[in-house]
Amino acid sequence: MILTLFMALITQLTIAQQKTISGTVSDGNGLPLAGATVVISETTTGTTTDFDGKYLIQASVGDLLNFSYTGYSEQTITIGTANTYNVRLQLNTDLEEVVVIAYGSQSKDKIIQNVSVISEQALENLVTTSSPDQLIRGQASGVQVVSTSGLLGSNVNIRVRGINTINSSSAPLFVVDGVVITDNTNTSFDGGLTGQNPLTFINSSDIESFSILKDAGATALYGARGANGVVLITTKKGKRNKGATVTLNQFVQTTTVVDLMEGLSPDEYRGFRTDIVNILYGVDIPPEVLGLGTFGSGGSDFVDEISRTGLTKHTDFSVRGGSENTTYFMSAMHEDAESFAIGNDLTRTAVRVNLDHKFKKWLSLGTNIGVTNTVLNAVETENSTAAPFTTAFFTNPTLRSRDENGNYIRSSNFIPNITALVNLNTNKTDVTRTIGNAYATINIIPELTFKTNFGVDRIISEQNKRSVDVISPGGTASLSVVTDNLHRLTNSLSYSNTFNKSHTVNALVLHEFEERRRRVTGISGTGFLSDDLLNVGSATTRIVDGGARSGSIISGFLGRLSYNYDNKYFVEMTGRLDESSKFSITNRQGRFWSLGAGWTVSNEKFFENINFINYLKLRATIGTAGNDRVDDNDFPYSELYGTGQFGGIPTANVVQPANPNLGWEETKTLDIGIVSSFFENRLNLTVTYFKKNTTDLLFQLPLPPQTGQLTLNKNVGELENKGWEFELSSTNIKNDNFEWSTSLNITTLKNTVIELDQSAAVDENGRRFIETGSQRAVEGLSLSNFYLVRYAGVNPQTGDAEWLDVNGDITTTPDFASDRVLVDQSALPDFTGGITNTFKYKNFDLSTVFNFSVGNSILADGLLFVDGIDAIGGIINVRRENLDFWRNPGDNAFAPSPASPTALNFNERSTAQLLKGDYLRLNNLTLGYTLPVSIMDKTSFLSNVRLYFTATNLLTFKGKDLDGIDPENNNSNNPLSQGVSFFTAPQAKTFLFGAMIKF
Amino acid sequence: MKKNKLIFYSLIMWSLINCSENKLEEITPEDNIPAALIFTNFSTIEATTVGIYDGMQNGDIIGGQVEFIGDFLSDDVNFVGSYPSLQQLRNFYAASTNRNVNDIWFNVFNVTRNANNIIENLAVLSSQDITFSDPNDFETFETRKQEFIAEARFCRALVTFIGANLFAHPYQVENGENLGMPIVTAFFAGDEGRFKEPRATLNETHTFIENDLLFAVNNLSDFNGIRASSTAAKALLSRLYLYREQWSEAANMANAVINTSGFSLAPDYTFYNNPSSEHIFRIINLPDDSAFGLNFDLFYNPASARGRGDLTITQDLITAFTAEIGDLRYTTLTTEDRDPSNNPARFTLKYPNGQTNESDPNVLRMGEIYLNRAEANLRGNTTIGDTPLNDVNAIRARAGLVALTAVTLEDVLLERRKELAFEGHRRMDLLRNNKNLKPENFPISAPGGNKTILPIPANEINMNPNAVQNTSY
Repeated sequence: MILTLFMALITQLTIAQQKTISGTVSDGNGLPLAGATVVISETTTGTTTDFDGKYLIQASVGDLLNFSYTGYSEQTITIGTANTYNVRLQLNTDLEEVVVIAYGSQSKDKIIQNVSVISEQALENLVTTSSPDQLIRGQASGVQVVSTSGLLGSNVNIRVRGINTINSSSAPLFVVDGVVITDNTNTSFDGGLTGQNPLTFINSSDIESFSILKDAGATALYGARGANGVVLITTKKGKRNKGATVTLNQFVQTTTVVDLMEGLSPDEYRGFRTDIVNILYGVDIPPEVLGLGTFGSGGSDFVDEISRTGLTKHTDFSVRGGSENTTYFMSAMHEDAESFAIGNDLTRTAVRVNLDHKFKKWLSLGTNIGVTNTVLNAVETENSTAAPFTTAFFTNPTLRSRDENGNYIRSSNFIPNITALVNLNTNKTDVTRTIGNAYATINIIPELTFKTNFGVDRIISEQNKRSVDVISPGGTASLSVVTDNLHRLTNSLSYSNTFNKSHTVNALVLHEFEERRRRVTGISGTGFLSDDLLNVGSATTRIVDGGARSGSIISGFLGRLSYNYDNKYFVEMTGRLDESSKFSITNRQGRFWSLGAGWTVSNEKFFENINFINYLKLRATIGTAGNDRVDDNDFPYSELYGTGQFGGIPTANVVQPANPNLGWEETKTLDIGIVSSFFENRLNLTVTYFKKNTTDLLFQLPLPPQTGQLTLNKNVGELENKGWEFELSSTNIKNDNFEWSTSLNITTLKNTVIELDQSAAVDENGRRFIETGSQRAVEGLSLSNFYLVRYAGVNPQTGDAEWLDVNGDITTTPDFASDRVLVDQSALPDFTGGITNTFKYKNFDLSTVFNFSVGNSILADGLLFVDGIDAIGGIINVRRENLDFWRNPGDNAFAPSPASPTALNFNERSTAQLLKGDYLRLNNLTLGYTLPVSIMDKTSFLSNVRLYFTATNLLTFKGKDLDGIDPENNNSNNPLSQGVSFFTAPQAKTFLFGAMIKF
Repeated sequence: MKKNKLIFYSLIMWSLINCSENKLEEITPEDNIPAALIFTNFSTIEATTVGIYDGMQNGDIIGGQVEFIGDFLSDDVNFVGSYPSLQQLRNFYAASTNRNVNDIWFNVFNVTRNANNIIENLAVLSSQDITFSDPNDFETFETRKQEFIAEARFCRALVTFIGANLFAHPYQVENGENLGMPIVTAFFAGDEGRFKEPRATLNETHTFIENDLLFAVNNLSDFNGIRASSTAAKALLSRLYLYREQWSEAANMANAVINTSGFSLAPDYTFYNNPSSEHIFRIINLPDDSAFGLNFDLFYNPASARGRGDLTITQDLITAFTAEIGDLRYTTLTTEDRDPSNNPARFTLKYPNGQTNESDPNVLRMGEIYLNRAEANLRGNTTIGDTPLNDVNAIRARAGLVALTAVTLEDVLLERRKELAFEGHRRMDLLRNNKNLKPENFPISAPGGNKTILPIPANEINMNPNAVQNTSY
């Protein structure tokens, strides 16, 4: 017995005899991997490879040696008699990616939520100026990105699965490294209906990935604010055990306009106005009699005077790497951008530090902080006479901006000298914004982790406006300072364990608290001794216009429980209890939940023989999320009085009626999908059906006018959005020299108003509706139905403009209120999507991103002003189309005869301004060339050099009606008045050339 | 050890959660007053009363488009501006969706709302319910309460009258049996039911106005600073009775105003935008009042004076002024400048503050009261207070014109036109005297014509099943 034991011990000692093992770890191409981890399985013995990918380790025969490297598949070998083991690690395929989700991350093949990911690889070769929203465009199904214009700083409308609410904001929630950022614009009204883009404050080069959360399974954890979808932006982090990678990226870009409406030249204008007078009064006078100067006496092209080719210069720099216990990413960026509009510049400077350090086995601390300063010189937009792309179009072209001495001339009417305005006036907003967090992660036991995370979003914004004497006699100025501070504290416990090898459980409980305070201070002044006095303090009359503070708090408690059996069957449930200060004490709690299930069919035994399908998963989720926003009103439920004065006596007046019952808006989403991969992962197809029902819509309900109140904040009715999302990606060709891959996404969307408020107006068919200008939201139909008088064109015989009356009969005297009908056109597209093609040939890469929208209409409201003979009392320029007015019987003219009584109301709002909005746009074309490795090797320090060229908005296919009018033209965030443009400034066409150098 | 750590961190977490919970209650409005506090304090009650006047500082109800739309629909003013909705009104083809019409209608009821808030909610309070910072207010609370309610009723009467003049045909068309305004006496507190009132007849509307004004006459003192007084109520009653052809009541009310000490015809025209005995009631605008609505300053001043220059004086009125040499109302109160098309045009100088929008609309002034008395006496064959000839000559003397030796109704109306030009009287003066709004005598602008009154806004028609639209809209 003892002998046996002894023998066994000897044997043990003999077998455990260690020897030195060496080798090289390389990637699939044979290039050495520095910093790869080599560990003897089930021990703590391990090492890392050196810069040549070489390792040395003491091991015994029969040991399992495990090789790993971030981003590559692990490999395990068994030590045999040999002493050298060279290992090639293969890159992880897509399906094994880790995806950032709400409050955590998950392996892509285990995820059952619906999350669109725009990964680091997809972003790698895309470069953008001014704002990262361009990076999302056309890249993900269910996500529509529409710029409000090509001006710098202009906002962007991002919609996740359409419009799910009828209150003021249908924008998704933006979360940067776990910090929910404020999308309040903090800029004053400048004619346009949208403010400065909140994403301007993020350096695009810092972004590692976007995750767009779409279904309830993914958004329920954002409870209160998840209903419009959530865009998670993750910034780049360092990589463990990886030497520093230094990246220097520089580019220059030129910017011009895509397309412009054409007005009349000075002589055309003289001819046009004179012809009209001569026809109307049967006379024959020359233009000088009308004060327009003689033919050939010149004039101005005001659009040309206010436009330019903008030049942008960009530099960014980053260092990324890590040691065993520390990872880091640090970056700096500076950009001077000019748009195509004189007076519109944006300077951005940003720095970022992302650090993570493992102090103890159980404790890590880290921080992700980005600080950005932007200085935006803005020009006004849309419905303002100070807006260059409004006023330049309609200023009388026979006028001049300067006199013979070169001095700017003061305008004789309310339309300012726009050339002087853009060159001399100032509208500068200087914003410093810090978005960041600091966190600690504590492993209480290996399976249980506690994390505390403190995040901030701090904005200091200073807007300085100054209008000079030639524009505003005496001069005016204003200064508005906004501080907008948000902080949030999140504490969580997460648990993860696998029992009996096949039962995996993940759980999360989390509490978060978020507080926001905003202070606005403003003064304005008039009367300056000189234009050289730049600030409002030098004005002779000064007025305090603001000095107010507001705030809100949201506090949430949430949990998530996931279980999977053998990576085949998945279930997940989430819940969140929210409290928001925006509702009265009795209604402030909101409860949101989701349930999800998934089945990875391809992991089943019976699937082993089906070779052409590599991966197949069925998934479904259902759940709810909420919305607490009513026009950024902090107390939408409360009857409030505002103060003022009458002749110096203090006054108080009702500013808002009470609705103590006001509560959460809730969106319930059902989401069913299939995720699949075929032919060795060369073809990937994801199909999803979704149905979102929003109930208790938060809405500023119009009240009967006799109440003397415009609106009441109320929960009303129900809205439904349903549709299909298709994402298809394929590797069409792949060989040693050439690779071509395509990805296509299409989203269909059907919006239906299920129910409106009981008190809403009722139409002749007994359907309730809400009318906003030119559109109606109608029960049983969608939110957007254009409601207009039907224009029938100019009668070739009579020269009268003709319309259809409410009965469909031709009339020349329509009633522009009672002859309106629903014209069966909507601002909401039937489907939208994008196509990305990527080609690689040797060291060249080429990618194209198209986006498209089909089935929507646009109401070009600005045409009311620039069509017709009497537009603005006949003192302004008109579109070229108006030259084609009716003169003789048989003419198929654009405009009626000036002598026709209909010439006066030809430009009334009707379907004449309603245009088909379909388009296909080559949004981004990028061509790159990476210097060959052979050249890199000759230098001692360069590791990668890529030269690239990018063009945006290079090509747009659209209907002929849209000449001069951009199809991406939303000028409003209001869900009830989508698709209406009013001299929306054009989009930008840019050409960019740059180089990215890695050391 | 592990167990302790777990407990320790759990405790930290809970303490963090708990310290945050109470903070939710700390979020309160910092720059607004919650309604619950308004009627608990005498100062906020008074501020809410004066708030009614604040609401009337909007050019969409007084001192702006209400008056100038009336003036350009008739023969004093040309609208040469770019607002399509105003062009439609000028051309007599406005639809019920017209934005300006909608704004005017809304503001009538917005001021009515503020007034009804005081009328309805103050009436039920006693001094025990309220805190006072001045003990005198406690002592005199019942009197002050009636005064506040009387001011509110004056304001309600004023805007209802403004609405009736625009949205209903004048008394003369159907002896007041035609549709007038809805009578709204409630303050909105969530129930919309009381705000879908049908339109009363014009006579009923006028009775409602008359009752409010008589209450104000009985409960206010002769003089009340810049706020409504019993004199103002009498002055407005004289206009109401004049419009209703109740000649002796009109003359008596005007006479009562003229005999009230502290009110007299100012010696010259410096009273515009300055304190003066001329004013019975006006809206005071200051530079730091936000300029709401389409106001006089914005529209009447040419670009050189920082306005839009959209409203120029008609040739017809210039001819009327220049028929006599040296009318100071023409030579000192109008000026030559350029319209938006850069053509020479004449502009009024009654509202010269294009930069600051602080010109003060004259709602009720002595010039009108003398002319009310003159016209009422002439039509009623009376000489209450004085003869029509003396009253007209008093106005003419101030304008630097020679005295007349006899007056006809036409003389009174001509003097009224010149004296009150650009103050929003012309349209009603023409219609109630059965005169076409336009010198060209277009059929569309004839008295009683469908388009001489405004449409009831589409919003009202859509949201009120009891609403009745005016003919032809």
